[in-house]
Amino acid sequence: MVSEPNAVIAVDIRKLTVKFGEFTAVDQVSLSVRKGEIFGFLGANGAGKTTTIRVLCGLLVPTSGHVRVAGYAPEDGLEKIKTRVGYMSQRFTLYDDLTVAENLKFSGSLRGIVGRKLEQRIEELLEFVGFSRATGAFVKDLPGGIKQQVSLAASILHDPEIVFLDEPTSGVTPGARERFWKLIRELAGKGKTVFVTTHYMDEAEHCERIALMKDGKIIALDSPGGLKASTFRTPLLEILPSRKMAEGSWLPQLRAHPAVESIEPYGMRYHLVISDPARLGEVKAQIPPSFEISQTAPSLEDVFIRLVEAGFIK
Amino acid sequence: MKVTLLGFMKKEFAQLLRDKRMRIILFIMPVIQLMLFGFALSNEVKNIRLAAVFPLSDRISHEVLSKAFGSGWFKPARTTSTRDPSEWIRADQADVVLVAPPEGITQALQRGNARIQLLIDAKNVVRAQQIEGYLTAILQTTALDFIPVAAAPQGGVVFETRVLYNPELITSYFMVPGVMSMILCVITVIMTSMAIAREREVGTFEMLIAAPISIREILLGKTVPYIALGMLDAPVIILFATAVFGVPLRGSLLLLLLLTFVFVCTTVAVGTLISTISKTQQQAMLGGFIFLLPAVLFSGLMFPIENMPIYMRVFGYCNPLYYYNSAVRNIMLKGGDPSAVLVNVLILAAFAAGLIWISAKRFRLTLG
Ligand SMILES: Nc1ncnc2c1ncn2[C@@H]1O[C@H](COP(=O)(O)OP(=O)(O)O)[C@@H](O)[C@H]1O
Ligand SMILES: [Mg+2]
Repeated sequence: MVSEPNAVIAVDIRKLTVKFGEFTAVDQVSLSVRKGEIFGFLGANGAGKTTTIRVLCGLLVPTSGHVRVAGYAPEDGLEKIKTRVGYMSQRFTLYDDLTVAENLKFSGSLRGIVGRKLEQRIEELLEFVGFSRATGAFVKDLPGGIKQQVSLAASILHDPEIVFLDEPTSGVTPGARERFWKLIRELAGKGKTVFVTTHYMDEAEHCERIALMKDGKIIALDSPGGLKASTFRTPLLEILPSRKMAEGSWLPQLRAHPAVESIEPYGMRYHLVISDPARLGEVKAQIPPSFEISQTAPSLEDVFIRLVEAGFIK
Repeated sequence: MKVTLLGFMKKEFAQLLRDKRMRIILFIMPVIQLMLFGFALSNEVKNIRLAAVFPLSDRISHEVLSKAFGSGWFKPARTTSTRDPSEWIRADQADVVLVAPPEGITQALQRGNARIQLLIDAKNVVRAQQIEGYLTAILQTTALDFIPVAAAPQGGVVFETRVLYNPELITSYFMVPGVMSMILCVITVIMTSMAIAREREVGTFEMLIAAPISIREILLGKTVPYIALGMLDAPVIILFATAVFGVPLRGSLLLLLLLTFVFVCTTVAVGTLISTISKTQQQAMLGGFIFLLPAVLFSGLMFPIENMPIYMRVFGYCNPLYYYNSAVRNIMLKGGDPSAVLVNVLILAAFAAGLIWISAKRFRLTLG
C-alpha cells in the first residue's frame, strides 16, 4: 500500500486483527482512507465489517495491528478519537421511548453541547437531514427511513471529521435509501470523510473506493470502475431466455463450452463471461435464437458474485 | 460532567415515568406489598386450642377457662395423656397451655405471689401475640373479680409467658419497617440493574460509549437517577406505614431519611454491580433475585439473625438489609439513639463505597 502524507489520510489501518477467543473476525486488514472520501465497506453478514468499525471508533480493543483515526492512535487517548468521529451503529442508536428532541438533546449532553448552541445545532441538522415532522414525535412512531435520518443527525451533532455509518440503509425503502445517499454525498461535499458499510451492491456505486471483505479479509479494494475493469477483462453477455425454454439443456451445454468462463443467474437473466474474446461469435451461435442477447457492462453485483461467490480471486 | 449527569437525569426520568408499567412498579406496587404483608399479619385470631394444667379445686382456673371458651376465641384442645405440657404444643395438639402454680391460682394469689405460666406456639408470630393478649386480659379480669387487692396492677400476679419457637415475639409493628427495606431494595436493585442491561441488550450502550465520556460519568449518570427515584418512593412507604398500620415514628424523621438515603445508595450500587455481570435484561433480573432472596431471608425481617447458628449469621452481618432493618426499627419503634443509628449509617456507607468501587473496576467502556 502506498503511504500518503498524514495530512490527507483520515483512517489508516495496518495489519489489523481481531479475535474473539479462537475465532478470527478480522484478519490482517490493511487499508487507508483519504480525507473527504466516501469509502465503502462491502461484504456479506459476518464478514467483519462492524468489528472493524468498532475498533476504529475506539469501542473494541484489537488483538494486534495498528490503527490511526483522524491522526490519533487509540494509545493517544480514546477520547481524542471519540471527539473527532461520529458513529451510527447498525443496531438501535436512538431510544424508542424518547422523542426526537429528547434523543438529540441527550446526545448533545453526552458531548457537552448544551443550551442555545445545542438548539441551534439540532435545528440545523434536522433541516439538513430533511426532517419535517414534529420533534415531539416518539422515535418508535417514525418509519425506518426517517429514524435513520434522525440517527444520522444524532451521530454528527458534534460536527465530527469522520463519520462511520454501519449499514445505515438496511431495512428501509428504496426511496429512503436514495435520500440517505444524497445526504452522504452532501456530507462528503462538506469535507467529511464517510466510511460506510452496506450489503447493497447498487449503493456501492456511490463510493469513491470500496473494499470487499470476506471472512475477515479484504479481497479487493479499488474504485467501482477499477474493480469492474480488473475483474472483467473479457466481454460480458446478458441473456434473457425465452419463456418456454427457461429451463432447458442449453444451460449445461453453454457452461461446458470451452470459451465460456462462467454463467450465473442475474435476476430473470443470466450473465455469461467469455474467456476468449476471439470466440465471442462461436459462443453466441450456441445460444438459442429466440433468446435476447446483449453485450453489457458489468455491475458491482457481477463483481461481487465473481469475487466472493464464484471464488475468483486474482 | 454536570451537563452529562443532567442529561442522564432527564433521559432516565422521562423513560421511567412515562412508562405506565414503571409507574405502577414505582408507586403502586410498594403500597400493595405493604398492604399484603401488613394485613396478612394482623388478621383476627379465632379457634385457639387452649389446654390448662391446674388443681381441680382451683376456682379461678375454672372461671378463666369458661370465660375463654365463652369468648369465642378459644376452644378446648384435645391433648393426649402425656404429663409434659410443652409436649402438647410440640405435637401440635394445643396452641396455648396455661400452667397454674401447683397449689392453684386462687391460693397462690391469696398468698400474694402467683406465677402463672403460658406456653404459646409462636410459629405464627402475630397469632401468638394475640393469644397472649387475650389470655392475660381474661386472667387479669377474673383474678380481679375474686381477689381485688392482689390482682391490682401493682399486686402480686406474675405472668410468666414462655413463647416457644419465636422468643423475639415479632409483631406487625416489627414487620412493617422490615417490609419497607424489602420494597426499597427490590425496586432499586432491579431497576438499576435492568436499566444498564437494557442499554446493552438494545444496543444503545454502544452509542453511549462512542461518546467521549468517562466511567465515572456513565456510572453517575446511571445511578443518581435511581437513587433519586428510591428517595421519591421512601416517603410514600413511610407515610403508608405510619398512617395505615399505625407504626409509630418515635425517632427523628430526618435521621430516618438520612439512613434511607445511604441504604438506597447501597442497593443501587448492588444493582450496578449486577449489571456489570449481565448482558441482557433477563440476566439482570435473575441476578437481582439471586441477591434478593437470601438478602431478605437474612435481614432479620422474619427470623432474627441473633438466633441463627454462627455460619448463617455471617449472611446477616454481610447484608446491607440487616443494618437498615435494625436501624429503622430502632428509629421508628424505640426512638432511635442517634449514635447507634449512625454506626449503621456508616456501615451502609462503607458497603456502598465498596460496591461502587468494585463496579467501577469491573465496568468497561469497550465491547467484547
Ligand atoms: N463480541 C463478539 N464475540 C464473538 N464473536 C463476535 C463478536 N462480535 C462479532 N463476532 C463474530 O465476528 C464475525 C464478524 O462479525 P461482524 O463484524 O459483526 O460482521 P459484519 O458486520 O460484516 O456482518 C461474525 O462471525 C460474528 O459472529
Ligand atoms: Mg455488521
